[in-house]
Amino acid sequence: MKLTRWLARKSGLDTRAGEYAYGEDAVMGYTAQARHAERWVNTTCGYCSVGCGMQIGVRDGVAVSVRGNPEHPVNRGKLCPKGLAEHHSITAEGRAKHPLLREQGMLKRVSWEKAIDTLAERMRAVQRRHGQESVGVISTGQLVTEEFYALGKLVQLGLGTRHYDGNTTLCMSTAVAGYKRSFGSDGPPGAYEDFEKADVILLIGANIAENHPILCMRLDANPARTVIVADPRVTKTAMMADVYLPVKPRSDLALLNAMLRVIVEEGLYDREYVERHTTGFDELRASLQGVTLEAAAQITGIAPEVIRKVALLYARAERPFIGWTMGVNHSTKGTETVNAINNLALITGNIGQPGASPFSITGQCNAMGTREAGFSSSLPGYRKFESARDREELARLWNVDVERIPAQRGLAYPDIIEAAVAGRIRALWIIGTNPLVSFPNIDLLKHALGNLEFLVVQDGFHPTPTTDLADLVLPAAIWGEKEGTYTNSERRVSKVNAAVAPPGGARSDFDIFLAVAERLGCREEIYPGWQSPGDAFAEWRKVSQARLCDYSGMTYAALEEHGGIQWPFAEGSGEAPAAARRLYADGVFQTEDGRARLLQTEWTPFPEQPSAEFPLVLNTGRTVEHWHTRTKTGAISILERMAPRAWLEMNPVDAGRQSLRPHDRVEVISARGRVSRVELRITEIVAPGQVFLPFHFFETNANQLTQSAFDPVSREPNFKQCAVRVERSPLNTREAARATFPDA
Amino acid sequence: MEPSLQLPLLERAQSGDEAFRLTTAKDAAESLLASLCGLRSDVVLPAPPGPGEQYRFHFDMTKCIGCKCCVVACNEQNGNPADILWRRVGEIEGGVYPSTQRHYLSMGCNHCVEPTCMTGCPVDAYSKDSVTGIVRHSADACIGCQYCTWNCSYGVPQYNEERGVVGKCDMCYGRLTQSQLPACVAACPEGAIRIETVRVEDWRRDYRAGANSPGMPSADHSLSTTRITLPGRVAQNLRKADVNRIQPEHPHWPLVVMTVLTQLSVGAFAAIWLLQLRGTHMHRMAALAALLSAGIALGASTLHLGRPIYAWRALRMWRRSWLSREVLLFSVFALVAAAYSAALWLDLRRAPALGALTVLTGLAGIGASARLYLAPGRPAWNAPFTFVEFYLTAALLGALPAGLLGGVTPVVQSIFTLAGMATVAAGAGKLFWLYCSPVHELRGSGVLLLTVLSTPLLARYVLLAAGLMSLPFVHGAPALAAVTALVAAGEFLSRYLFFVSVVPTNMAAQYLAPEAA
Repeated sequence: MKLTRWLARKSGLDTRAGEYAYGEDAVMGYTAQARHAERWVNTTCGYCSVGCGMQIGVRDGVAVSVRGNPEHPVNRGKLCPKGLAEHHSITAEGRAKHPLLREQGMLKRVSWEKAIDTLAERMRAVQRRHGQESVGVISTGQLVTEEFYALGKLVQLGLGTRHYDGNTTLCMSTAVAGYKRSFGSDGPPGAYEDFEKADVILLIGANIAENHPILCMRLDANPARTVIVADPRVTKTAMMADVYLPVKPRSDLALLNAMLRVIVEEGLYDREYVERHTTGFDELRASLQGVTLEAAAQITGIAPEVIRKVALLYARAERPFIGWTMGVNHSTKGTETVNAINNLALITGNIGQPGASPFSITGQCNAMGTREAGFSSSLPGYRKFESARDREELARLWNVDVERIPAQRGLAYPDIIEAAVAGRIRALWIIGTNPLVSFPNIDLLKHALGNLEFLVVQDGFHPTPTTDLADLVLPAAIWGEKEGTYTNSERRVSKVNAAVAPPGGARSDFDIFLAVAERLGCREEIYPGWQSPGDAFAEWRKVSQARLCDYSGMTYAALEEHGGIQWPFAEGSGEAPAAARRLYADGVFQTEDGRARLLQTEWTPFPEQPSAEFPLVLNTGRTVEHWHTRTKTGAISILERMAPRAWLEMNPVDAGRQSLRPHDRVEVISARGRVSRVELRITEIVAPGQVFLPFHFFETNANQLTQSAFDPVSREPNFKQCAVRVERSPLNTREAARATFPDA
Repeated sequence: MEPSLQLPLLERAQSGDEAFRLTTAKDAAESLLASLCGLRSDVVLPAPPGPGEQYRFHFDMTKCIGCKCCVVACNEQNGNPADILWRRVGEIEGGVYPSTQRHYLSMGCNHCVEPTCMTGCPVDAYSKDSVTGIVRHSADACIGCQYCTWNCSYGVPQYNEERGVVGKCDMCYGRLTQSQLPACVAACPEGAIRIETVRVEDWRRDYRAGANSPGMPSADHSLSTTRITLPGRVAQNLRKADVNRIQPEHPHWPLVVMTVLTQLSVGAFAAIWLLQLRGTHMHRMAALAALLSAGIALGASTLHLGRPIYAWRALRMWRRSWLSREVLLFSVFALVAAAYSAALWLDLRRAPALGALTVLTGLAGIGASARLYLAPGRPAWNAPFTFVEFYLTAALLGALPAGLLGGVTPVVQSIFTLAGMATVAAGAGKLFWLYCSPVHELRGSGVLLLTVLSTPLLARYVLLAAGLMSLPFVHGAPALAAVTALVAAGEFLSRYLFFVSVVPTNMAAQYLAPEAA
């Protein structure tokens, strides 16, 4: 049969014509029949925090296509290339399908019962030997809020440890810390509508064209805007700028302080707003005395008159908007930089107004959900660990003894890793994240994981570099296979739905948490009567009631109907669900006195300056085709085709000095490690003295190079700058035979 | 199910049929179809083209952010595997930091006014739609000869090896017939890709300003209709991001065999015929061998096709396609050569006349064969060198059988030596021309030959030189046959280099090649 088919094909019969047939589809229109679905399931994209509404097309129980939901207010039918290929992540090769337990060094398939028993027994055994808090949990920003809420309760009340954090600390914990210090609570005050309404848009360390392309659409819808982009690299976003500020690495804080100085000195701030709604202005003003334009120009590489011009642009704008992402967050000075951004917005009174806000553009689809559901940097509903009132309220809501609610947060992600190195954390449960690619200074991480007595990894894919090291692998359902809600950057809670069943024996994270709670004997206590995520949502609505992130007015049905609803949306508020909402429009903040804090900040050089041995500054980042550690996108052929491997960007000046040629394979070496055989791109995208490497690729792992340096407040790693040198890799025979076009 | 070749809806609309209403900007907001395409009112189809007009793409480089949504949407729309991209996004870069310019080009098919894919196609698989001007390709008619992939200077048609046919962007013709937007247009979050109507005569006059762009081949070859809006300020040195990346092309082994063996066969028949004219020798066995060689060549050529059983269709477009003409002439050559061989065996009086006809059709076949490689999209082929190379191969490989059959006479010796020296001279000349050319693709071919391909290049001339130098000292048929084999091996190598060293013109690509170099 096979032979006849082969012969038929080789002789020239179009045996595959059927696979390429087209047809008219009621929803997709005239399109490849392979994409035709028999039903469509509304959901929200599972990659980034833009939170695009989409629909999954299902035929015969298989996800065969996706499309942007034309009715969704966020994306209006559009999707980025990852979203457009997202159904392939469900059917991708390498999905984890069965629980696996390491026996005699090998991962072997076991039953769920055995897997859950093992998890509970070994965690408890470690706790008996090394103390209650010798176990830790590291989760993600990509579960649904219901799961985060369930997991938080399970870790705190079931396992009984505070040491719980997520990969969100590698991502936006700096924004959280900055918002909390300035405004008394986390919560980005703005809305996406601001991109359309602002007259001046300042983007700092935010390459939205690469990382949040759908937001560019909102920017385009704003004809009156002036876009200012501050980035050391000429990113795709820099190409959209009206004013591009090629700042030196890590000099954004100096830029912001110089802008503050100009605005204060020239009396362009909003005196009334500052007096009525803030504290700390005099101290801030005093701290700016030492900040001169000339000094800032030295630090940033931006001419004094340009800094002044930008400051005036911002100060005189009616609706100025500041957006930032990882360029700010990934830094030892991140929290202070966020505070400086907030200072700018506060002294000009530009918070929570249409078009005007200091806005953290978040990373993961539901990083916001982890922030709201809490137990890492705050208690659920942005309650404070330190507040006895908050703890008592929570204990009452849950009907538990208040003593079981901790008065202090547990270790943050990097500190959990440090504790594992030191032997204080002995067992770890990693959920939906792949630290072997994403955590800085990988060798240290490997050391930490090697120290553990028990490592559980729960993921939708296996093998990943992290599941490879696990003692127990729990196969989880992924996006498209489970239900719940995501919150996007603009605090819009959107519904996520299951379109298909998970493969093999994989189960939703929610079900896994319920099973673990059952086994730990606390299911009825912490999940009273829960069967589905909807039950968690019902409880969460109550827990969030009257908090800043108030969900009490939301129902699943309403979320579906309106394409998500922005919090706060209190029950009985009478507001239109679809209305754009902002925070702090009234100038009342979440501090005890209701006033925002103006905080002094101080620029210092980034920790690892280039040296004779390591003369270049390494910047790391992303590319539009890939998501994080490529667990999903690396398995999607069209995305791999467009971005098949990493590359190193280097300025021609530096390349010329070392006689490097385009497409050469190079070694990138830091004091901590080496990345081998990266393809060199000689380009004017980066400045002389700087190089850029995307971090997605395990094979050429940027985090072999990055350092263990963390923001003192947010504990976010300083991913964006470290000192490296670059050498040409030894040629292999194939490359020796490679032609390179000599530069004309 | 293929949509009808006509556009009845558009035709009805054009003829003023009141019953049929086209979607226009005004009513797009409430249009069900617009929402089906994942759209609001921002993008709609323009009015259908009137007489003398056609549809075209408009690409706005100032809006494109290089997100590649169009690429993914296109592949989803057409169910193509990841290695076949009917719409591609390339990067161009220029300027000096921090005044760097990086821009993106998104391109499907340009639906040219004079589509070279279509004029070259031997089987009439291409058509230019009379209403929309869309250049359409029929997978049913296609035999997978891939000639269009050489003729298009933009690299638009792509060969689907799995299926054995070429495919290309048809502006989502099937969607347009239903008043739906093409997938790329519907997917672009920036509104950088649109469909618009153009008056063909106006465009013939004005296309240069609108169709050309840094990172794109010249629109002169085929009058590309895609209108490209460039940024106001364009850096002088704006060029393809992949400008330094060149890699050998596919060797097309069946074509290496086919061209060399047809040339050998023609050369051998010329020798047989001339020897027959000069004396009385009837080289019957030699004629059979030469005929066999022609047969193998024609057989081999079908292996190049994605759909060999439909090879006969290639005769169809002899009025237009040089590939058809090549097939036709070599088919005639094979028939006449068979008749000539039979005549030799039967000692027919008319044999010399048949021999003359054989040689004539053979030489014409080689001419057509060379001519078909003169594709603007393959600059290294698109030169008189191709004729010179092909005829010299025939001369070299004809002189040796002549020697084998009639003895290495001074005439044979001098023809062979002259042809050999001409081959060396032509090779050196071509290499010089390539390497010193200011044209990127030509210089690229030169670089390829002198770097990656330097070993086979050297071997090719070593083989030829060995043949040239040993011939005067060779006696006896076996030794002469060995020399012939050496020289023939050199010609095969030479033809292999011809195919792999060509650098096609193309739009800018992404910096990284899909496969690691």
